[in-house]
Amino acid sequence: MTRIEDKPDDPPPYRHRSIWHMIAAPVVWSLHFAGVYAWTALSCARFGGPDEARLGIALATAAALALIVVIGWRAWKQWDFLDDYDDVHDAPTTEHRREFLGHAGWLLSIISAIGVLFVAAPAFYIGSCL
Amino acid sequence: MRPVRRALRDRTDSTGASIAQNSEPLRDDASRPSYLAQIPRRGVNVKPFRVSLLTILATGGCAGQQSVLDPAGRDAEVLATLFWWMLGGAVVLWILMNGILFYVSRAKEREFSRRTAELFIIGGGIVFPTVVLAVLLSYALSEMPRQRDLGSGLTVRVVGESWWWRVEYLPDGWDTPIVSANELRLPTGSRSEIKLAANGVIHSLWIPALGGKTDMIPGRETRMSLEPETPGDYRGQCTEFCGESHALMAFGAVVMEPEAFADWLDKQAQEAAPPTGTESIRGREVFAAEGCGGCHTVRGTPADGLVGPDLTHLADRRTLAAGVLPMTEAAMIDWLRDPEAIKPGVHMPAYGHLDDADLSALATYLLGLT
Repeated sequence: MTRIEDKPDDPPPYRHRSIWHMIAAPVVWSLHFAGVYAWTALSCARFGGPDEARLGIALATAAALALIVVIGWRAWKQWDFLDDYDDVHDAPTTEHRREFLGHAGWLLSIISAIGVLFVAAPAFYIGSCL
Repeated sequence: MRPVRRALRDRTDSTGASIAQNSEPLRDDASRPSYLAQIPRRGVNVKPFRVSLLTILATGGCAGQQSVLDPAGRDAEVLATLFWWMLGGAVVLWILMNGILFYVSRAKEREFSRRTAELFIIGGGIVFPTVVLAVLLSYALSEMPRQRDLGSGLTVRVVGESWWWRVEYLPDGWDTPIVSANELRLPTGSRSEIKLAANGVIHSLWIPALGGKTDMIPGRETRMSLEPETPGDYRGQCTEFCGESHALMAFGAVVMEPEAFADWLDKQAQEAAPPTGTESIRGREVFAAEGCGGCHTVRGTPADGLVGPDLTHLADRRTLAAGVLPMTEAAMIDWLRDPEAIKPGVHMPAYGHLDDADLSALATYLLGLT
């Protein structure tokens, strides 16, 4: 039984083999979702009103998008597509694992950015807390 | 053939034949009035069920007094428009996707360049749906605040009970509500504010012809507002499971011209008309003797109970027992005799111990409360 297994001298950074980094962008999306709902409920129930809610949503959205851009950029670098135009990562090697996780993380960043924008969209329309 | 199986077969045959011949129901309760046909029963009668299901699928929901596709108010119109746009879009997309699939796999099989395929995936799989969803979302969101606009003039408070509706009208400038039950009347030409509460368990108020639904939650007040446009009789229904008779918790929704509504509300604010005929007067005595006033209010009489629906203008309503029975003497007597048979779990006790004369007198009195 043969198995392709490269044994580099230095182990790759954790990020290059971690599924947690791959799903970082959706995690930001989910936190943004929960945060926006909680903030809107709080500002409508306890202090202020739609303006405070809208301001908070804007800040949270800006922060979430910035984070997702950073995560997406790092994932894009990790995928390393322009280096070898390789979008098939099916070998059990360190390189393919790194590229796969980067590729998936990059795609997830795109959908997370869209998700964050859709979650924030109601802020344009809310006129009251009703 | 084993006996049990043969018995089963014979039973199926005989019931099938009897249904085909004279439409006799499965159970031998020929005395069951026709209006009870809509009440679910413990015995399951498969064939009529199948027929009615087909009828519902073929025609139901397209028109009628409880249809989102037959809007009679501004809010329902927006929802119907949104539905038709989304349905149309879905049909177009379905035809487009299957057309493309047919084209590339059957009509014109050829190899595509990688670049074409990638452009197609990115354009058709990411950019196009994102744009379409963004447009639909923006349109729906832009309509949401209007659905929740503040009402002007009339405020109605509706409390979900088990399994009926307490309704209190509070016109602008009034401080004492006009209490009614199991029917919601609204004027055209203005947006009415509807405050919602629930007693004990959750409910949800929905009048499909007039607008969207809003949950009623014990311990808190929710709200909705409705802007009816076409006068007429509609129907609302509880749309949040609330117990045994959830499906039998409906109500009439009547939309009226503003002047007619004002006249109607003035009448509702008045006390009950005293009974006139001898039968009716005797009915009032039965009402008092049986302690009906312990649960029901008839304004202008000693009856001031708050447990059950206000009966001051009971006979003015289109339905009895919260949208379940017609307002007729036969239905009233059936209801008084055994409410549990009509509405399982109902809190009202049965008055089957009364003789026919007393029940008839009581029904006459109640139906005189216009």
